[in-house]
Amino acid sequence: MNDPYSVLGVSPQATDDEVKKAYRDLARKYHPDNYHDNPLADLASEKMKEINEAYDAITKSREKGGSAGGGYSYGYGGSAYQAQNAGQSQSAGRSQYIQIRNLINANNLAQAEAMLNAIATHDAEWYYLMGSVYWRKGWMDQAGQFFRTAATMDPTNIEYRNAVQYMNQGGQAYRPTGGGDMMGGDMACNMCQNLICADCCCEMMGGNLIPCIGCR
Amino acid sequence: MYGYVRPVKAELKVREFEQFRGVYCGLCHELARRYGFAARFFVNYDFTFLAMILAGKERAESCPKRCVAHPLRPVQCCGSCDGLQTAADMTVVLGWWKLADSAADGRGLRALGWKALCRAMKGAYQKAAARRPDFAASVEENLTALRALEAARCPSVDETADKFALILRSVARGEPDGTRRRVLEELFYHLGRIVYILDAADDLAEDIKSGAYNPLMYRFTPAEGKLSQEDERTLRSSLQLSHNALAGAWALLDEGPYSGILSNTIYLGLPAAAQAVFAGTWRAPARLHRERSYL
Repeated sequence: MNDPYSVLGVSPQATDDEVKKAYRDLARKYHPDNYHDNPLADLASEKMKEINEAYDAITKSREKGGSAGGGYSYGYGGSAYQAQNAGQSQSAGRSQYIQIRNLINANNLAQAEAMLNAIATHDAEWYYLMGSVYWRKGWMDQAGQFFRTAATMDPTNIEYRNAVQYMNQGGQAYRPTGGGDMMGGDMACNMCQNLICADCCCEMMGGNLIPCIGCR
Repeated sequence: MYGYVRPVKAELKVREFEQFRGVYCGLCHELARRYGFAARFFVNYDFTFLAMILAGKERAESCPKRCVAHPLRPVQCCGSCDGLQTAADMTVVLGWWKLADSAADGRGLRALGWKALCRAMKGAYQKAAARRPDFAASVEENLTALRALEAARCPSVDETADKFALILRSVARGEPDGTRRRVLEELFYHLGRIVYILDAADDLAEDIKSGAYNPLMYRFTPAEGKLSQEDERTLRSSLQLSHNALAGAWALLDEGPYSGILSNTIYLGLPAAAQAVFAGTWRAPARLHRERSYL
């Protein structure tokens, strides 16, 4: 393993608070929420693991000095697809849809798209999965259109609604304090509010959109 | 290219500003060294950004150099290095195709001028294409596809932007480290997508007037040369998602001597460019002036 201090970018002489701050900054940067359905999510979670291990190693070695542990435990339960497979896609070809979801998760977009194109009747789930394929490809505009269609066809589905809301508020990514975004401000203020709102809805359903808002 | 990809000058440290100017001037000198004096006209901010990213952890020597733009006081220029050479070759390839595009699009005397330029630079292009055959092939393939989409008046912003994004994505193809290549490909793809869409938004009013193709015309329903508030929101949130992907990739890469300048460009420069484009101030009469006075 790399030197835990160099992983966190602090000197071995740093105080506990400095270590903790460095750790928190990095954890904020590589947080799985910033890599929601992102093709680089595996690299970010590797990075996150490295940071967690480094922080644990430092706190353990300093334990006698009485410094607090309490690292983030993210329990990243895979992407939204796996999480909600059950109880989904009651319509025809359910097993087919599950297969397509797995293909999307494995980043095999060409095959997922081909399978979707072979399906003749387009229900809400079809639109949602097609939107997911576009999302992964980076075709964000079309992804939004398909998610919106899915949510309109089946307004009771929380997964579709969350996808639309996530898109509308411009997703989530790490930006340093003072960093700008492409939305131009007027919507950014609502973002936290929307997120917390969506999180509450999610938690009622047993999910959790922002697992660590309490830690921050 | 287009000049949207540049740091916000006021937020750069003086040291960073000098570094940035050094890379810009270094790229210009590299172009002259490899392709002759005329190739200097291809120098631009977007490829300065690419040169800094491609340089990675590489730290090149810098030395003072004079040139036509700085005849009296020499500028500390970044010396020749891998990142700069790659960027110079690609600048010529893409720059030449842009000339060819203008020659094909233009009418009358203007087209003649572009055609003459195109012919004059053909030698430089062939040399650069021979050095970066993969990139040249990708540019040709994707620009041809883009032309076909334009001719068919494609109503999808994603599909047209995808072609330009794929060109930028292929900039990373030469990266030997597989993981780094993955990150760079993601970063460049979304950078290309953002640049293409910003350019389309910037050109919208003019294209409506001249009848030229613009994907936003067919994807949305602009009135009086402008997108409605709702359409603008939709477009900007899709830009934001690309910016998220770009920021996510950059966080995994954040390294090297230019890290501060690159972070500035990504976190501040691009949002500022988007803000100016949508506010309609990007192509104010000051555009040329700003190009000159920036450095």
